[in-house]
Amino acid sequence: MARIKQKGKSGAAKAYITRSSAIKKLQCSIADFRRLCILKGIFPREPRHRKRANKGSSAPTSFYYAKDIAYLAHEPVLKKLREHKAFAKKLARALGRGEWSSAKSLEESKPVYRLDHIIKERYPSFVDALRDIDDALCLVSLFASLPSSPKLPPTLIENCSRLSAEWQLYIMHSRALRKVFLSIKGVYYEAEVMEQTVNWLVPYQFTQNIPTDVDVRVMLTFLELYQTLLGFVFFKLYTDAGLVYPPSLDDKRDESGAGVGAFSLQTAGKPPPNSDGPPEITAEGKKITEKDIRRTIKSISSGLTEINDIEVPLPVESPQDNDADDDFVPQTSSREPEQPTVLPTLQSLLSTPQTTVTNIFSPFTFYLSRETSRPLMEFIVRSFGGRIGWPPSSGAGSPIEESDERITHIIIDRPLVDRPEETEGEKERRRKRKYVQPQWIVDCVNAGKILLEDPYEQGKTLPPHLSPFEQDPGAYEPVAEATNQNVAEDEMDEVVSDGADSNFGDSTEVADDVVLQNVTSSGEYPELLRAAELQAEAAGVDFGTFEKKVDQARKGMLKKGKRKDSRNETTGVEENLNKMMMSRKQRKLYDRMKFGESKRVAERTQLEQRKKELKVASRS
Amino acid sequence: MVAELQNGTRKRKAPENDTIKLANIDLPQDVGLDMLSDDGGEEGAEETDGEADEFPGIDVESDTDDLEGENSEEEGESDFDESSVEEVSDTELQIFPKAKTITSDITGQPKKVYPEIEPDYDSDSSTEDDPNRAGNVPMHWYDDLPHVGYDVNGKKVLRPVKGDELDKFLETVEDPSSWTTAFDKSTQADKLLTSEELDLIRRLHAGENPDGNYDPYEPTIEWFTGKGKEEVMPLTSAPEPKRRWVPSKWEKQKVMKIVRAIRQGRILPSKPKSDKPQFYSLWSTPASDHPPPLPAPKPKLPTHAESYNPPAEYLPTDAEKAEWEATDKEDRDRDFLPKKYSALRLVPGYDQFIQERFSRQLDLYMAPRIQRKKLNIDPESLIPKLPSPNSLKPFPNYRATRFLHGAGKARCLSISPDGAWVASGDEKGVVSLWEVLVGREVQRWTFKGIIGAIEWCPRTDVSYLVVGVEDHLHFLIPPNLPPAVQMLTLSVLAPATLPAAPPTPSPIKWVSTPASQFDSGSPVLTLHLPASSGLPKQITWHRRGDYLATVSGTDQATVWIHQVTRRHSQAPFRKVKGSVQLVQFHPTKPHFFVATQRYVRMYDLAAQKLLKSLMPGLKWISSMDIHSSGDHLIVGGYDRKLCWFDLELSDKPYKILRYHTRAIRSLHFHPTYPLFASSSDDGTIQIFHSRVYSDLMTDPLIVPLKILRGHEVRDGLGVLQVKWCPGQPWLVSAGADGGVGVWCS
Repeated sequence: MARIKQKGKSGAAKAYITRSSAIKKLQCSIADFRRLCILKGIFPREPRHRKRANKGSSAPTSFYYAKDIAYLAHEPVLKKLREHKAFAKKLARALGRGEWSSAKSLEESKPVYRLDHIIKERYPSFVDALRDIDDALCLVSLFASLPSSPKLPPTLIENCSRLSAEWQLYIMHSRALRKVFLSIKGVYYEAEVMEQTVNWLVPYQFTQNIPTDVDVRVMLTFLELYQTLLGFVFFKLYTDAGLVYPPSLDDKRDESGAGVGAFSLQTAGKPPPNSDGPPEITAEGKKITEKDIRRTIKSISSGLTEINDIEVPLPVESPQDNDADDDFVPQTSSREPEQPTVLPTLQSLLSTPQTTVTNIFSPFTFYLSRETSRPLMEFIVRSFGGRIGWPPSSGAGSPIEESDERITHIIIDRPLVDRPEETEGEKERRRKRKYVQPQWIVDCVNAGKILLEDPYEQGKTLPPHLSPFEQDPGAYEPVAEATNQNVAEDEMDEVVSDGADSNFGDSTEVADDVVLQNVTSSGEYPELLRAAELQAEAAGVDFGTFEKKVDQARKGMLKKGKRKDSRNETTGVEENLNKMMMSRKQRKLYDRMKFGESKRVAERTQLEQRKKELKVASRS
Repeated sequence: MVAELQNGTRKRKAPENDTIKLANIDLPQDVGLDMLSDDGGEEGAEETDGEADEFPGIDVESDTDDLEGENSEEEGESDFDESSVEEVSDTELQIFPKAKTITSDITGQPKKVYPEIEPDYDSDSSTEDDPNRAGNVPMHWYDDLPHVGYDVNGKKVLRPVKGDELDKFLETVEDPSSWTTAFDKSTQADKLLTSEELDLIRRLHAGENPDGNYDPYEPTIEWFTGKGKEEVMPLTSAPEPKRRWVPSKWEKQKVMKIVRAIRQGRILPSKPKSDKPQFYSLWSTPASDHPPPLPAPKPKLPTHAESYNPPAEYLPTDAEKAEWEATDKEDRDRDFLPKKYSALRLVPGYDQFIQERFSRQLDLYMAPRIQRKKLNIDPESLIPKLPSPNSLKPFPNYRATRFLHGAGKARCLSISPDGAWVASGDEKGVVSLWEVLVGREVQRWTFKGIIGAIEWCPRTDVSYLVVGVEDHLHFLIPPNLPPAVQMLTLSVLAPATLPAAPPTPSPIKWVSTPASQFDSGSPVLTLHLPASSGLPKQITWHRRGDYLATVSGTDQATVWIHQVTRRHSQAPFRKVKGSVQLVQFHPTKPHFFVATQRYVRMYDLAAQKLLKSLMPGLKWISSMDIHSSGDHLIVGGYDRKLCWFDLELSDKPYKILRYHTRAIRSLHFHPTYPLFASSSDDGTIQIFHSRVYSDLMTDPLIVPLKILRGHEVRDGLGVLQVKWCPGQPWLVSAGADGGVGVWCS
């Protein structure tokens, strides 16, 4: 006879443990448990059957894996937390008795826990850690912008701002930035570090206060973990790039608001220890460093030492820094003052099609107007190889003066005003420089090439700023391109809207095709037909042939439509009938998928509809 | 010496004491004696002072605070000069008699003199000033009387005049001394407190000693210790132990242990800080072989709508904004409202930033995570691939003819075995016989009550049909039959010689009209079912055409099996569990299916036993049909489901289909074509292709072919019965709208 199975001794009842019993088992307070869970990355699990996991009770509780809790019981941090509890008692007693000396010696031997082993445990390889630093970067950059308070000591804020500056330094140094998005929440960045995509969000520079409905203790525990994680990750990144970690901080500059410029990168005097890391990671790291070196060598002039380039703040911008650019700009400006930047653009386009798009700004020198955000612009421009200067009101350490001749672009975010009292020299200087709004920089970065400055000029209404982050392929594309027209011919609305764009192609044939498609698809839009006629006339097609073509196209369209319709109908009916033969599970899955699809389609059609309405409204 | 002290003058006492003290120091051998004498001297002083000593205690008003030293000296002298101070005695009566300082006649020194107290009747101040001699009695005894007590002479002490509250108040305002008055119980009037009493109250209130002269900081008098009183001789004669003056060995050992530990560096003044650097190459050591925990899911990346300068079509309308604000935070599909700013410098800080980070962290450590496989498939691929209906033709496609039944609902129909005629019955009791091809009615019978069921006899050599009405079964012969067929039919239904009566009498009477009186307008044979057995819901024939089974009654339905040739009826079941809905003969074997409300039971009629009990899982079975092969059974229910049973396979359905939106009313397998049809209260008829394979390995193929619409739903009833035309892929359906349609391919 088989052994009698006792209830609650196996299966889900044993695999799961409720939170309260976990706390009871670990003999710690709920706050300590929370702290441990955050640090160790333990989260509740959803059992298949809650009733079975909770011994028949269906009370709402959160469940953890019993094994997770068993591992927690041996956690050194838990031991340290217990020691700290005892220490706190001892200290309170000593203070209560006024035994200052013993309190002092107790304070000296205060138990402190380290999180190294937890980092190693949670991220066995460096790539794992790198994959998971998104949240850490977000939180650190948030805390870097918070004011200090009794709950947030200034040292913490300082450390956070140091970490975020170190990350920016590394990104600028390794030219790893890929995408930037200015959203209403803050600035989203995407960087590619060691073939891993890292996304992080930085709030705009405004003083924020922690709201009352936010538990700061939770945030601080996360911050504690994230600071440690980022420290180790940066150490590895810096040493792999042949840099010294931590980078040295110039206090005087930091006080004068130099921001990132207060740090200076130094190459390691000796090569980084080659016997570190598991073999594959070392290989990766080495590869990257070599690439970096090669890239830096390529980008800078031959006579320059590496240190000079790496020394990020560049206290005195040496004129021979990039000679090609330097001896080029004055020449153009002297000969053709109207278009000083066109040639550099061409040159850059010609010279760097093979290389990566990480140095699109290298031919340019920017100067910030004082209302633009320096940390944002400095980070972006320098990550893409540009040089940038700023007025002293935006912080110290600007490498370029406003009167510098090399400046090609002024980033300005002000409405246009006319300046009656302007000297001739200033006017000349104004004419030589391009005045663009900050969105130009970001759009250039996302496009991967230098865009035309005209729509972004000072005081102009900006084109919409679009998210560079990929979306699902069926989503609505705000900028429907002309090439899409052929594809989307069966969708009436889109074609109509595109036709209204009147961006018919340059060559007549293309124009004809497009026109015809538009015409055929839009029977009830006589104005479109008229427009097409005009277009055809301009292209040199005589009216008779045009009419013929239109008729042909119409017929073809009708036929196609009919055929398609009948086919669609029959297949649709069949599918509807076949649906009844699906099993219940499949039917539910199918319905769910269809629901999501219809929702997406509805969203898309709504956007398209609205765009059409807007267009009509703007035209009338 | 003792004697000398006792007899000697009082004023010498203090100096004497001093000398004694000195003597003590000088002459230690006399100590014992001296001490005794001292005590004795004190006692004597106390005895003599007796009376006079009371005064200094009460004396509050002493003016000689600054002369305390002298005062103490003079005390002795004042005692001495008792008699000589008589003339100074004050006649004025006071609680605390005042002392006077005078110059002593004898010593020439100033001294304090207290007034003499005469020990007469008036000297007792405690009794003399109370005019009321009522004694310590509760004063409320006098509440109603005009007096408050009696004086010493026994005269009434009248109650003092007492003003009203306003007077009292005015008094407190006008009289500056009113706040220093207290209520005297014996006189029932306010009495002014003296300054001494006020002082006493103040002291008590401040928690001080009530005695004004009390000095808490008097210099201590060292009686036993202090200079000159050190004890020279030990109290015990035991020698002092060695441990008092030899250093401890064990203590030394312990200290040396610590010293050695410090020297060897085992004990450090402060614990060394760990020399591990804060950050180091963490990933240089090989990792444990544990798999890394699953990375947390990443938050969604921003879309175009989140841009500070989105395209205009993303901006919400006012209605959308209001709706977004009205919905709860958790229910919003987007946690922000798109907004457009014309320049980057105008973008404000995002006020929900910290909350969003916080909620992300809460998700990270508090939300249960499930690893879910994301299906990246086309939803259309989930639809089973079945052969196209076009390849499975023929099946009924359209309605060819329609026969209308007046006002009543067409409830039942039957098609002749040759497939040319249809008999349909309605609720008004009309049975119509009409042609399938043209829909022309050739005969009409009218009965009383509802027509419950019609069934044509499956025999081809004879032609008649059975109609079930309330408590009766009528056998009808259609008109215009060939004479041979008609003869044979008449001989079957109304034989000249009745067969022998069965051994067990049956409650059912078979009444037939003689063949000579045959008229196609009236039934040739009528079965009188037992009274109040109800409407026959179903009539079903055995394939040979000799037996027919009927189910009649609504609640506890009874099953009868009738044999036409023997003109005999019997109830095969004495008792059936559950209410019988339907019965069915097996097409090939002597088996009989009985569908109760929930189950279908299969009986062997020859062996008379239960073979199988099928569980369709329906709540209420409405219809049932068996495939002509006899291996497959379909069961429909009022709960919209259709169950396909493979009788060889299992007691559970092989497939359950739910495609009708209302209850299934009728099911029918085509006798020859691989088709079956189902009709429902939603007014539709569904045609299925159902191919059954003879080998046991292949599952039957069921393909939905067509939904036939055309019947109207009336009173919640749709199509009540469907039947196939034998030999043709045609379907005849009877609907609640009174129409009977013929659907052709």
